[in-house]
Amino acid sequence: MTPIRFLKLLGIYAKIDLAWLVRDTKYALAAMSADMISNLSAVSAVFLIAIRFDGIGGMSSDEVLFMMAYSTLVTGLFIMFGNNNNIHISRVIGRGQLEHMFIQPVPLHVQLMTCGFGPFTGGGNFLVGMGLLFISLQRLSLQVTPMWVLALCSYLFATMTIIVARAYLVSTIAFYSPVAAEEISTVAIEGTWMLSTFPLSGMPRAIQLSLITILPEGLMAWFPAMALLGRPPLLGACYPLIFAMLLAAVAAVAFKKGMKYYVTKGSNRYLPYGFRR
Amino acid sequence: MYRYYYTAKLSAIEKTNGGIIYLLPDILIKAFTLIPLVYLWRVVMSSGAEVGMTMSQMMSYTYASALLSEMLVVKTAATGWLSEGTLLKLYGRPLSVLGQLSALTVGRWVPMLLLFSLPMALVAPVFGISLMPASVWFFPSLLLCISLGFAVDCFFACLSIKLRNMSWLIDRIRMAIIALFSGTVIPIRLLPFGLDQWMRFQPFAALGGSPLSIFVGAADVRSTIFMQLVWNVVLWPLALLAFKKSQEGMVSYGG
Repeated sequence: MTPIRFLKLLGIYAKIDLAWLVRDTKYALAAMSADMISNLSAVSAVFLIAIRFDGIGGMSSDEVLFMMAYSTLVTGLFIMFGNNNNIHISRVIGRGQLEHMFIQPVPLHVQLMTCGFGPFTGGGNFLVGMGLLFISLQRLSLQVTPMWVLALCSYLFATMTIIVARAYLVSTIAFYSPVAAEEISTVAIEGTWMLSTFPLSGMPRAIQLSLITILPEGLMAWFPAMALLGRPPLLGACYPLIFAMLLAAVAAVAFKKGMKYYVTKGSNRYLPYGFRR
Repeated sequence: MYRYYYTAKLSAIEKTNGGIIYLLPDILIKAFTLIPLVYLWRVVMSSGAEVGMTMSQMMSYTYASALLSEMLVVKTAATGWLSEGTLLKLYGRPLSVLGQLSALTVGRWVPMLLLFSLPMALVAPVFGISLMPASVWFFPSLLLCISLGFAVDCFFACLSIKLRNMSWLIDRIRMAIIALFSGTVIPIRLLPFGLDQWMRFQPFAALGGSPLSIFVGAADVRSTIFMQLVWNVVLWPLALLAFKKSQEGMVSYGG
């Protein structure tokens, strides 16, 4: 699989996304609005608290806005690249749809990386995030250098890796228990979404540590935002990148093992006449 | 009433059919969200800003909000079931559809109340949180909140029927609006820019935020319950009318 072919695949999915937008504009716009309203509601709740109390735990309201911008960018990337249950992978496994991908003449991992790309219908939050980022940077008078932009991209990549790796790790249960675990990725992703918008500054160290290790919600926005503001907390600026790599490695091993079981045993989700059990 | 009671009982049992272990992820996530949330408010309130609520009131508000979350913002299975086609089975039973939905919803609260709310209520003193209601009017207020919650849910079900099964979209928008406007995440009186002055009169404010404010003694009981009564009286007839008119338009493709 060459990079050119990979980009072409992204282009194909972008075209499909555009076709949906043009064909069913009302539904597509409604979907985009729902995503934006939902995310803005989550981040504005924390931001409103920060304004009312003139900051949270040593973070000024502008710094909280910057953190919310980062969180919105993550949400934007998630929606833009996860449009097709390719991150909510337990749904695909649980519904017995993974084998649909086996017959395609493209490696499975490439399909999973590209098939959720929806820049037109899924780009709204990313644009809002960019807007918030621009405003917060102006208010903070932060000096933006090429190195800083590179750091931002690296943290975004690390955060996305953590989200995807964790979703894939818990989704391996769906290989063994497809009905019960069909929605387990939703629990892992959406269940903790609100927690990821909490600024952890000022909280007890035990809470902070547990939220960047056991339940890594602190790595979704708070830690990277603090690091980008020049105040990396606790374990140093490189920690999210190291954590992402380790989690991805563990998830890859577990997922491969689960898939081996799946291809041996098959899925029992479909009745002979086609309906899902 | 017995028929509704048994419907609720069946619903409660159904939720644990696969074994309690499958509820564990939800319970853990709720607990893991609640504890940092308590500390978040502790950090925020320690700034000393005057907001008309003490730290202990805020802690109790947050804690009670998490423990009673399903009651404070009622969500029946109507919109999801419409999309999946499951809603149609309710029409084959000799009970009112809305009555069944209500009984099924109440039944589904029970496992979480027993497995999450009750244990967390027992450990509340460990976090220094009091769960004694400041006024007995909390209980009628909670009932009015639940009643209004069902009416609001009915409107969203009608919207789902009208928009031909955009249940996922409606769910997203609904949770976003209710989270911000009901006062369950942030007490309405804490909103900046004077938003609290006009937000307290909108219908969502009569949901979770009202009983919680009475629970911690941060609201005028008479005016709060009056607003809840007003919204119940206004919205229930409209909800029933909207549902009656919408039923004919139900279309489902199956899950």
